[in-house]
Amino acid sequence: MQLGYELIKNQFFFRKELIERVGWFIRLRWMVVCVGLTGSVAGSLVWPPFPFQCFLAIFLFITAYNISFYLFYLRLNTSPPKDEKPYVFFTNFQIGFDLLALGLMIHFTGGIHSPFLFFIILHVIIAGILLSPPSSFIYGMIMLTYLGIEIFFQYMALLSPQPVLFQSMLSAHVPEMPQTLFLYLIYAAIVFATAALTTSIKVSLRVKGRELLSVSRYLDASNKKLNALYDMVKAMGMCTDLQELMDSATCHSSGIMGVKACAIKLLDDQKKKLRFVSTYGLSGDYIAKSEIDVEKSVINRRIIEGQVYASGRLQEKDQFQYPEDIQKEGIASMVCLPLRVEKRIFGVFCLYSGVLDAFEEGDIRFFTLISDLTALAIENLRSELTKTWFLQKTAHQLRAPLNAVQSMLRTLRKGYLGAIDPPKTDILIRCEKRIEALDNLISDLLELSIRRAGIDPKKFYPVNVAQMVDRLLPMYRAQADEKDVEIECTIQEPLSAVMGDNALFDDLFGNLISNAVKYTPKGGRIRIAIRTEDSGQMYWEIQDTGIGIPEEERSHLFTEFFRGQNARAITEEGTGLGLVIVREILNQLNGTIHITSTVGKGTCMILRMPSV
Amino acid sequence: MKNKADILIIDDDRDLVNSMKIILESRALNVRTAGDGKAGYESIRNKTPDLIILDVMMATDTEGFDLAYKLRRESVYQDIPILMVTSFPKHMAEQGPEKFQHIMGENWPVTQFLEKPIDPDDLLSAVMNLLSEADGHDPGFF
Repeated sequence: MQLGYELIKNQFFFRKELIERVGWFIRLRWMVVCVGLTGSVAGSLVWPPFPFQCFLAIFLFITAYNISFYLFYLRLNTSPPKDEKPYVFFTNFQIGFDLLALGLMIHFTGGIHSPFLFFIILHVIIAGILLSPPSSFIYGMIMLTYLGIEIFFQYMALLSPQPVLFQSMLSAHVPEMPQTLFLYLIYAAIVFATAALTTSIKVSLRVKGRELLSVSRYLDASNKKLNALYDMVKAMGMCTDLQELMDSATCHSSGIMGVKACAIKLLDDQKKKLRFVSTYGLSGDYIAKSEIDVEKSVINRRIIEGQVYASGRLQEKDQFQYPEDIQKEGIASMVCLPLRVEKRIFGVFCLYSGVLDAFEEGDIRFFTLISDLTALAIENLRSELTKTWFLQKTAHQLRAPLNAVQSMLRTLRKGYLGAIDPPKTDILIRCEKRIEALDNLISDLLELSIRRAGIDPKKFYPVNVAQMVDRLLPMYRAQADEKDVEIECTIQEPLSAVMGDNALFDDLFGNLISNAVKYTPKGGRIRIAIRTEDSGQMYWEIQDTGIGIPEEERSHLFTEFFRGQNARAITEEGTGLGLVIVREILNQLNGTIHITSTVGKGTCMILRMPSV
Repeated sequence: MKNKADILIIDDDRDLVNSMKIILESRALNVRTAGDGKAGYESIRNKTPDLIILDVMMATDTEGFDLAYKLRRESVYQDIPILMVTSFPKHMAEQGPEKFQHIMGENWPVTQFLEKPIDPDDLLSAVMNLLSEADGHDPGFF
């Protein structure tokens, strides 16, 4: 919108026009010199009394000052001035010189009777359009004064009259005063009427320009606000944490609305108390009051009931639970709105300004939009968190009895209740293993459920894969060392980041590497290669010297609970969900997986995913 | 000789409490038990323990945390080490307020986490470490 604003300023106040016309005048003057010289030659041929030498001198004078103007113009273009003042000065200078040349031409072609007289009107119009309105009158006055002086001098016989262009010498006598005066008055009326007409059009355009400017300013401000609101909604959408979301909302809102402080207060479960959950720009002392009893605070009660509270002077201090704090905080105006989704109100969103009467109706309307969007974002994230929390809690409840059994078995097996003989110990170890498998299955099912519940891709951020590998690899290296399996990892820099989240990559990498370790026999080798391909895609290759996957089983690899025959033979560990989780994660990352394998020799998994 | 360390286990899973009691008593530690946060708090008020082993989810999702926060706010009890045991995966519990943030929002109140199922050796090692870090207690182990 800045463009629109500038456009209006330039067009309606003729700034751009003025700057462009400066060069145009110089070019036009060259044409005038050419046409004028040609005309003078032709004029002297058809009409011998034509003052050729005088005209030649005038056009040489014009040529000389136009060269100077041109040089000055080049300099002006090399280092353009910040404002239009030098152009105004330059234009005045040009019009002044042109009128001087025109005055001489008028004098040598019959003074008040000269046909060149009408070129004065042209200059009056130009000055009226491009320069300030009085310029038009000033230039008109100067030329009329000049003509008046010439008439007076001729009348007093101090100046000899010149023949009128293309007319007989008969008329070149001392003019009759009344007729000349009459002619002069008519001409003066034409000049002033032209100046008045031009300036009135110009003034009217300026008024319209000002109106448009104020509209444009308002549109600029609205556009800026809307852009900032878009950024705010985008930032809130990226949040995975309620506190982070609300802090982002208060911080952005303060900026958008240009106020000193902002706060979100949420209602407790009983809807009796409001608690500050996020503030921006308020002192610790103010927030320390923390809980607001809705019954005691008339204003907050009204807001909770759905009303908008706005005060530009905060005179109704008795309505606040802590009026002295509002004064101490330097709050002069305030707007508070209910945070609501449909008809359900769950909090209050407030703006605080240090300026009296800071909020107009439009501001309140815009803040309502901010508040509604914030409420929606809070509600949305809450529901997502509740969904995830439910899944986690379900897994916890399923795992609790298993954990108790496992703890008891370990206590028994490790001899805390007396010595256990080897056959019984074996049985206890088997029990523990089976329960552990069930525990792992619950973990994987939880993982899969959370993945399938869907994480909003908006919340993804660039993940540094090299750092992730550095963090996770030692853990799997320790597992591999136990089996004497060597892990070799090559990361080819520079490595671009991948959009995702850390937990997602931890699970992806963890599943792939633990699978490789699990199914690679003692003394084997796992080779990991990570790089960014020329196409910009992230490339992971995980190759092991493991048991391999029989060809006929490869199509079932991504089926829930499937475990290959040779996999089951080598270990009981494994839920058959690891690769399903890998595929779910890759779906979210827009990635692909390609598996090649030879039974007894090993497996190679190649993953590709878009990088940032 | 210094007094035997006094340990209070607060967990609603009787089987798990019994297992832990057996393990700790095998090292001659004095073990008291409580089945919920309220009984646990009463027990603490009767006699301040040297260490509290606390479950996270009991009657409510946050009963363990609620008690831990309550103790941290009271100057008499705020220095008691708390070993929190949970069936949530350890990495999730350790991330603390980030994962539990929609029900909590203050600072993390526990000294150490132990993931269930309880391994007797891990439990004893954690308990001994916490007791030796606290002054003046003879773990009664050596």
